[in-house]
Amino acid sequence: MVLSIPSKPSRSGIRNQFQCLPHRAMAAWLLLFSAIAFAQAKPSDDDVKAADLFNFGRFIRLNGVDASAQQHPTFDICILGHDPIGHVLDDVAAKEPIGKRAARIVRVPDAYAARECDMVFISADEGDGVHADLAALGNADVLTVSDAPDFLKNGGMIQFVKQRSRVRFAVNLEAVSHTHLVLGSELLRVALTVKGKSPEAQR
Amino acid sequence: MNLWNSRSIAGKLTRMNLLVSGTALLLAYVAFLGYDLYTLREDLIHSLTTEAGIVGANSVSPLLFDDPQAAENTLSALDHSPHIRWAVVVRADGQVLAKYQRDAASAPNLTRTLSPGRNLEYWSGSRDILLGSRVQFQGRSLGAVYLLAGTGELARRAGQFGLLSALILSLCFAIAVAATATIRHLISRPLTELAGTAQRVTKEKDYSVRAPVPKSSDELALLMQSFNEMLEQIQQRDRALEASRMELEQRVRERTAELTEANTELEAFSYSVAHDLRGPLQHITNIAFLLQNPARVEGDEHDLLKKLAVDANRMASLIDDLLNLSHATSTPLHRVPVDLSQMADSLLNNLQLEEPERKARLTVKKGARAVVDEGLIQVALANLLSNAWKYTSKVDVAEIQFGFTEDAPGPTYFVRDNGAGFNPRYADRLFRPFQRLHSQSEFPGTGIGLATAQRIIARHGGRIWAESNVDRGAVFYFTLPYRAGQ
Repeated sequence: MVLSIPSKPSRSGIRNQFQCLPHRAMAAWLLLFSAIAFAQAKPSDDDVKAADLFNFGRFIRLNGVDASAQQHPTFDICILGHDPIGHVLDDVAAKEPIGKRAARIVRVPDAYAARECDMVFISADEGDGVHADLAALGNADVLTVSDAPDFLKNGGMIQFVKQRSRVRFAVNLEAVSHTHLVLGSELLRVALTVKGKSPEAQR
Repeated sequence: MNLWNSRSIAGKLTRMNLLVSGTALLLAYVAFLGYDLYTLREDLIHSLTTEAGIVGANSVSPLLFDDPQAAENTLSALDHSPHIRWAVVVRADGQVLAKYQRDAASAPNLTRTLSPGRNLEYWSGSRDILLGSRVQFQGRSLGAVYLLAGTGELARRAGQFGLLSALILSLCFAIAVAATATIRHLISRPLTELAGTAQRVTKEKDYSVRAPVPKSSDELALLMQSFNEMLEQIQQRDRALEASRMELEQRVRERTAELTEANTELEAFSYSVAHDLRGPLQHITNIAFLLQNPARVEGDEHDLLKKLAVDANRMASLIDDLLNLSHATSTPLHRVPVDLSQMADSLLNNLQLEEPERKARLTVKKGARAVVDEGLIQVALANLLSNAWKYTSKVDVAEIQFGFTEDAPGPTYFVRDNGAGFNPRYADRLFRPFQRLHSQSEFPGTGIGLATAQRIIARHGGRIWAESNVDRGAVFYFTLPYRAGQ
């Protein structure tokens, strides 16, 4: 319920479970029912990750690149590998733009295909393939996010970590520094740890 | 007690001073305090709005990533804003993400929340102000920040104002009291002195006192001057009144003296009349007694009766003279133009006719005219001429002359004779009644004729006097001044 859709905070996650229902009226009725039934339900880790992923997009920008010339009209969030959160993202992306750009969820078959994305989520299911995926991305201006362990050590930029049953994230600025990407200080403020950050960015 | 019942003007002025300055100060205090509290409150709200905006901006990522710790870190910066007692960051669903409280006493208790559709709202309590500001990011509402600020600063400022006003009021009071001395010197003291002078004038009737005039040229000085001028006028009138009274007293004294003298003269006159009438009366009584015994006066009856007739005539003559004298004193004057020369001529002729055997040279200068009471002046002239006729009875040829000299301012008339004359040492006794310079046997008379003439001349405003030596004749001069309107 802490998803970043404050006007209707609980709808995205709950409605998502019934999105396949064909009838809108039925969906609305069920929505009301579920709202009562799950009013106090805590959002799942995937919900949090999906929301965070979306929010990361709001705090990144390209340094030294003419944004209007280079950027696509859409903000592409690519998903590489197993897709545990994509359905949540789909729902959000349909309504919420990122900045002035509409969000688009793209499922890519490999890392090379992800080079054109603005952000790529690499599922932990990729296992050892994560390292290869990162290598394939190289220094492309793509924000790499994963919930795989040791993702930062492998050169990833943002890694979801669980702390006291809460999903948090850690940042590897060193990896970011090889690209034109810049992470907003707001993002770094709420990061659990920031690796290789500059002294003035310390929390 | 009425504020203005004070007896002294200085007291009233002091009270008025205090009232005016106190009222002005109170109004200024209320106005300034009201304005200051208003601006202070506006400043506070403005400051709160700014702080809420900053906190809100710094709460975007904590709200987005649901990070209470980061939000609390943001809120902890409010430690530097001493007026903020507590603050909360709430999520869009109304749940509190992070809170801040300055001390244990100020426990966050959110009683009001932002109305839908409003991004900024505040609520004023009696001792605090709650301000809510919506946190927005890229057009989306993420939640809200609520700040609660105590208004102790406002109360403190009001207190300071009150203290300052009390101090200024005390200062004004001190100045007003000090000003009283000046007021007393400038206004009250002159008025007090004026009142004192007026009281002294009223009580002691002393119009010689003067109120001291201040050196200034204000209304008070004018008042003093006018008061003094009024006193001066009263004093002048008083002096005139006193002089008039003195003069009146003097005249009363003079009149009294005259009356006393007249009274004394009257007594003497009465005595003389009684004495002079008693003489012939005694003779008449004696003769009557003798005539009652025919044996004792045998052969002398004729002489006795002759003497009786002489005494009776003498008494009648005396009574006539007394009537003339009385008449001369009391009859009112009726002045008409009279030819005195003609009158004298007629009188002298009558005298000659009465004693045709006497040789006399009678001279009358023509043209003596005067405006006089004809009857009275005839009596006077007759007395003077018969007097001359009588005292020339022993000379061979009597010379009697009536004439006048033209002098300034008017003619002096005279009757001159070559008769017995008189000793000039006794000239002052000539015109007193019953005073005679010759014996009855030598020249008979009543001693009233000249006195009567003198009274008549005096009533005409004239003067009569005589010059003579024994056996060298006498001259009687008199004047009859006349002014129109007399």
